[in-house]
Amino acid sequence: MILSKNLDDLKFDKKLKVAILSSFTLNGLDETFHVKCSEIGIRYQSYVADYNQYNQEILNSKSDFYNFSPDITFLILDIRSLLGDYFYFPYSISSAERKSLVKEKINELENLILQFKNNSSSTLVITNFNIPSYSPNGIIETKSEFGFHEMIHEINESLRNIVKNQNSIYVYDFNQFVSKYGEKNIFDYRQFHLGSIQIAFNYIPYFAYELMSYVKTMLGVSRKCIVLDLDNTLWGGIVGEDGFDGIELDQTSNGKAFVEFQKQLLSLWQQGIILAINSKNNFDDAMKVIREHPDMILREKHFASIQINWDDKAQNIKQIAEEINIGLNSIVFFDDDKLNQERIKQEFPEVLTVDMPNDPSQYSSILTNLNDFNALQRTEEDTKRGVMYAQQRQRKQFENTVSNLDQFLKQMDIKVKIKQSNGFLIPRISQLTLKTNQFNLTTRRYQEEEIRKFSKDENFEVGCAQVLDKFGDNGITGAYIVKKNETNWILDTFLLSCRVMGRGVEDAMLSHILKDAKNNGIEEFKAEFIPTLKNKPAENFLSDFGFRKHDNFWVYDLKNDIKSPNHLMVEIE
Amino acid sequence: MLNDLYKIIAKVFSISESDVSDESGPKTIESWDSFNGLVLVDELENHFNVKFTISEITDVKNVADIKRHLKNHKVDLDE
Repeated sequence: MILSKNLDDLKFDKKLKVAILSSFTLNGLDETFHVKCSEIGIRYQSYVADYNQYNQEILNSKSDFYNFSPDITFLILDIRSLLGDYFYFPYSISSAERKSLVKEKINELENLILQFKNNSSSTLVITNFNIPSYSPNGIIETKSEFGFHEMIHEINESLRNIVKNQNSIYVYDFNQFVSKYGEKNIFDYRQFHLGSIQIAFNYIPYFAYELMSYVKTMLGVSRKCIVLDLDNTLWGGIVGEDGFDGIELDQTSNGKAFVEFQKQLLSLWQQGIILAINSKNNFDDAMKVIREHPDMILREKHFASIQINWDDKAQNIKQIAEEINIGLNSIVFFDDDKLNQERIKQEFPEVLTVDMPNDPSQYSSILTNLNDFNALQRTEEDTKRGVMYAQQRQRKQFENTVSNLDQFLKQMDIKVKIKQSNGFLIPRISQLTLKTNQFNLTTRRYQEEEIRKFSKDENFEVGCAQVLDKFGDNGITGAYIVKKNETNWILDTFLLSCRVMGRGVEDAMLSHILKDAKNNGIEEFKAEFIPTLKNKPAENFLSDFGFRKHDNFWVYDLKNDIKSPNHLMVEIE
Repeated sequence: MLNDLYKIIAKVFSISESDVSDESGPKTIESWDSFNGLVLVDELENHFNVKFTISEITDVKNVADIKRHLKNHKVDLDE
């Protein structure tokens, strides 16, 4: 095991153990990972198996690879190794034989995945196979009965199906990677013969960048929100000078580029990415375009926060973060103006400020190349997020019309549905533990696999809360894990998504848990508060509820009464 | 041109230019492994606008060999 030197990454508190197993030489991938992890504040440790040792490493349950116990494993295979000589001579055998060969290879892969799953709880990313552009059958390849290309296609398709319903196993589409950068660039015969290299070393950084998507997402360092400038970012020209009819949108070549960019943004919004505006403009001029311009794709309802004014852009970004209740490190900032970019970079280095090119035709490809918006699974809550934020804006407006908080809460008709963990809820519960920073007592991060284990274990209670109110469904926004010892119960995890904070939901959840403990004859209930840079909102929660500090724990004496909020309705499912 | 060659070698292997001589090779420079060797090939090809064959690459034992192959590709190092 080699650790790249000269990287002062011991200071990082996020750690990641990465294993790389491959069927060919992958020099430089490990080092590139290390640097890229370091850049985003992750302490990287790695295990790189000797090339083509992946079978032994996976099949032997006592292998060094399993001993290393990685968090994430990249299994990087190539089609030449898989097919052997049939890669060169696919037509030396009949189509029936090709079919059975493919079947055999798929079984091998399936068995490998199964063994891996039995021996390790690591996340697994397995690459699919590149379909070469060449075929000895030339132009009639596409007419061949179960031809060479179809064989590989079939293997890829099967791999996809094997993995589809497996938690924490993912297929990386290597075939797409080769399409993106070009077969002639990726596969260099000279490097192949000199060092069994199958991804040209100058493309290793791109490859590493793509695989980093999994790492970033696993560690919850993904971005949630795109903050956009307007003039020359969402449309061409300056609305204050060129006027409503003078800006470029769709009608010109330049204008088409902005529409394309907006469509890509809308598509991300539909997947749950939040959009916001940060623009120096007259509010009315700019809003007229957003509301009335026939060629605008993004409209008012797509934006969770709209800051159109003459204030400092850095101030506006802060305002947006507060309004949506997300961290600055969840934000990506698009602004064509170099000065504004510089301003944000200096003031908030944690915001990802995109270096935008002068040519708007490049905007879309810059956006689609970012690998910061990934999710390891997409829950219903994610895809509804855009709509939820629109509702949130309405709630805020309502809050402003009601003077007193109690009255406001009563009029909100809040309903909390407490649910025990089940197969459908596990991905969301895991996601909440990975993403929730503010109202989180312990900030313990759990992958799906771990939540699944807790849920099965009778010594643990895993639950979550769905919150509804008169404006709509907030979705599953609270979660907890309780460790049930014989004489006392310990609150391992307790968290609430920030968008429902401060409405008594947290009290309803805890009240339910404490009553449950009491009904089970438990006398002492223990909880922890582990401070982080971000969880100040949860700091006084336990003491306010009536817990007393005792050594490292906060303790609740269950002989006491358990309060519960009366402005909301609680349903136990 | 000779200067350029030494600069590239020094950069690829992270050593100082003064440590590069005709005798320098995988045996004398610790960081000169097969991978960095390929990186060197890539850098030289881009800089001098040449393309080496596999046998030229595998034949290289030291810097003098590189010079010889560059000359075969009509690169005038004395320029």
